[in-house]
Amino acid sequence: MEIGASVSSIDPAAAAASEDEAAAKREIESLLYEKRNTDGSLVGVAGSGPFRISEWEPGKHLALAANDDFSGGRPFVDAIEIDMGRSPRDRLVDLELGRVDLADVPAEDARQAASRGVRISASQPDQLIALVFLAGHPAAGDARLREAVSKSIDRGAIVNFILQKEGEPAGGLLPQWSSGTAFLFSTAADPARAKELRTQIGGSPEIRLGYDSGDALEESIADRIVVDARESGIVIATDASGSGAASSFSKDDARLVGLPMISPHPAVALANILGALSPLAGGDATAPPELDLPGQVYAAERAALDGFRVAPLVWVPRVYGLSDRVKDWQPPATGEALPLADVWLDASGTSAK
Amino acid sequence: MFTLALLVSVGVIVAGVTINARSAFDQLNGEHTDALVAQFQDEMGRRKTEAVDRVRGVADDQGTVSMALSLARPQADVSAYVGDAANVGKAHQLDFLDFIADDGSIISSQEWPARFGYKMTWVTQPQYWPSVGAFLTKLDTQDGPAIALLAVTPIRVGDKNLYVVGGERLGKEFLASLVLPEGMRALLYLNLDDSFQATDLMDNSGPVAQADPFTSTVNDERAQPSERTFTIPYSVEAGAAETFHALPLKGQDGQLLAVLLVGNSRHDLVVVERHIAVLGAAVAGGGLLLGLLLSWWAAARVTRPVTQLAAGAQRVSEGDLGSRVEVRGPAEMAQLARSFNRMTDQLNEQRERLVQAERVAAWRELARRLAHELKNPLFPLQTTVENLQRAKDHNPDQFEEVFRESTGILLSEIDNLKKIISRFSDFARMPQPELSAVNVNELARGTAKLFESQFSAVGRPPITSELHLDADLPAIQADSTLLRRALENLVLNAMDAMPGGGVLMLRSTPQDGGVHLEVSDTGTGLTPEECDRLFTPYYTTKQHGTGLGLAIVQSVVSDHGGRISVESEAGVGTSFHIFLPYKPPPRPADHAPSNGDGA
Repeated sequence: MEIGASVSSIDPAAAAASEDEAAAKREIESLLYEKRNTDGSLVGVAGSGPFRISEWEPGKHLALAANDDFSGGRPFVDAIEIDMGRSPRDRLVDLELGRVDLADVPAEDARQAASRGVRISASQPDQLIALVFLAGHPAAGDARLREAVSKSIDRGAIVNFILQKEGEPAGGLLPQWSSGTAFLFSTAADPARAKELRTQIGGSPEIRLGYDSGDALEESIADRIVVDARESGIVIATDASGSGAASSFSKDDARLVGLPMISPHPAVALANILGALSPLAGGDATAPPELDLPGQVYAAERAALDGFRVAPLVWVPRVYGLSDRVKDWQPPATGEALPLADVWLDASGTSAK
Repeated sequence: MFTLALLVSVGVIVAGVTINARSAFDQLNGEHTDALVAQFQDEMGRRKTEAVDRVRGVADDQGTVSMALSLARPQADVSAYVGDAANVGKAHQLDFLDFIADDGSIISSQEWPARFGYKMTWVTQPQYWPSVGAFLTKLDTQDGPAIALLAVTPIRVGDKNLYVVGGERLGKEFLASLVLPEGMRALLYLNLDDSFQATDLMDNSGPVAQADPFTSTVNDERAQPSERTFTIPYSVEAGAAETFHALPLKGQDGQLLAVLLVGNSRHDLVVVERHIAVLGAAVAGGGLLLGLLLSWWAAARVTRPVTQLAAGAQRVSEGDLGSRVEVRGPAEMAQLARSFNRMTDQLNEQRERLVQAERVAAWRELARRLAHELKNPLFPLQTTVENLQRAKDHNPDQFEEVFRESTGILLSEIDNLKKIISRFSDFARMPQPELSAVNVNELARGTAKLFESQFSAVGRPPITSELHLDADLPAIQADSTLLRRALENLVLNAMDAMPGGGVLMLRSTPQDGGVHLEVSDTGTGLTPEECDRLFTPYYTTKQHGTGLGLAIVQSVVSDHGGRISVESEAGVGTSFHIFLPYKPPPRPADHAPSNGDGA
């Protein structure tokens, strides 16, 4: 298996340096622990899951061996070798050449990879990419300017062209398949309204938009936002920076963030997303104490978006490339571990990782 | 005048040469500018052709043709081609490449990948693109606006067009391809913004460091694009100035897109002008020096004979009648020199004749005086001897008595003759003054006192003496004995001149370098002729006298380095003026080496 992220620690208490590392770390943890609760917490100890660590080179290589004592039954595969930090191009090449059985694939590359014959599997769109106007930054202090930026963005073009149709435009903080109310949040661009708002504001404020310098998708989306905003008379300058500590983007007025759903349950997912947004967007994105009922979820979602501090952009699926040897593969459900314990490899195929 | 004429001439020549040099420099610069502009236009033409060829190459590419075919189908999915432009453009060495759909929307853009979906409607304007060729235009890119040399090639499939728009950036790389003559540079101002921006002015290495001086001219070009020439001084240093020729570069619609600025440094011209100025100054200085030398030479040529004449005249006035001057120079000066020499010759002859005449006169006077002086004692001698002869012959008895009387007379006359001979001998043996400090006033008082009894002697009219002696009269170095002798002589002469009595006045006053002593009487006076010969030895106006008294006085005064003169008016009186220096000048004999015998 090959992944793009470099996981430096598999300790659940250790913080990840990037969103990609955090996502990869979660998937590895799911293979090592017995179970993950709906709130994201892990059950059991490391090694009580379907696999245990047999070899560990932080950030580079991880070898897992099947756990014969796993309560859910021993996995079909004896071992899994995970190479980390591989570039998208290398992962695709290795897939095409049969050097690897499984690799994560950038969603924007899925269509092209599939056109070249790579077996592609995608999850539900459960990764939200949103534009967050950072609290305390004067350039993004005017709600009309934030609304104008949000209305100027052509989310459909982002999905169709940048994501190559692998994803969905996002209007709310939960996807339609999860909340069932996403259709109530408009995803259509409204450049006329954006221009009108821009005219009301006057002056020529410039917004500094930060994104993860290691994330090609975020860079493409940021560039597109610049173009859309420019058509509405709004000046946005992009700033490639790290995705970890807030100090790395302290000069930014707004930032692109990736927000994975940790659970298919709307309340759990929304609470988690709001918990991640709150430090960036401030009070508007604070989760309310009661989120049990669907109406409460929608109200909380609406409340978080009303101030235009957060502009949801697209829902992106997790995409995997598979070799033909992999059998009984099912796309991973939101919040659940990769189904590596349930797949088996066709021995007649070429040996691969 | 010569200098002024020289300076004016040099100034005119320098100005003329400078103007000609400047004109030649400007002409040369103009030719270089024209050549560089032509080179730029050739390069522009070549690159236009190249852009057309490359864009056509993209259009002919199999991938592009496939794209056109795919997009011509109903419900075509353009999103699959969103990243193609960047790859294809790079492969065809294009700075800009866009694939534009039939409706003008951008399918894929190399220079601004995120701009997909937006319209580039000017591409769809009905025109025959192959005939347009490449053209300059302003193009939006991800990094901001740029000036691009673009070409458009449409690919028609069915009733739909796929437009391939590509080209290269107009910028420093374009300038780098130009071959610049030394001292020239080419700048390019890209008219990208609403006002002059220093960063939009570049040379072949990037933005120009000193862009501000171009603000005015670029703004003029923006307002009214036209070819113009202007000079930027940069600083007070003239060599830093640069002359630019501005060539506006316009787009298809006549909009000003860029300005080519071809600059010529004026450093070489300034250097040439400085050389001319330095050379002019050197010529003027040399001419000035030459003029001064010539003037000095001409003046010396004129004044030297005059100076020589003046020096000769000075020598003549000092008594050197043998002085002669060199006969040379202009004809007039030579004539003057000859006249001067002739004059000195004549003066010499006259002096010689005068000396001889005076010498003859002196000898005659001496002979007359000697004859006179000797004749007086000789007559009694002759008479006495004749008496002795007669007494012996006729009165022998009285001979003894006559003999005694006659020998007494003979001895007396012989004694008289001895005295006469002694006086002449004394004059010939005037002693040299023995110097000591002498108070002239005391000398005058002593002399007056000596003759006081004679002034009031019984039987003759009285003579009154008056002394006007300056109390502050300094002492002089003199021989008091000789001076007293000279002064007594003058007083005796004065007494002789006043047989009827009168006033004898002695006056002393200090004079420049010595003292002045005046001895005056109120006697009968002298005629001018007598005054002229008064100091001639053996000349006298008296019945009895040797004529040596005043000659001795003059000799004494002369031996003291002084001078004596006489003023007289008949019937009024006579005044003798004596000037005596504080110290007599050394006599030649005083400095002569001693012969050792002390004689």
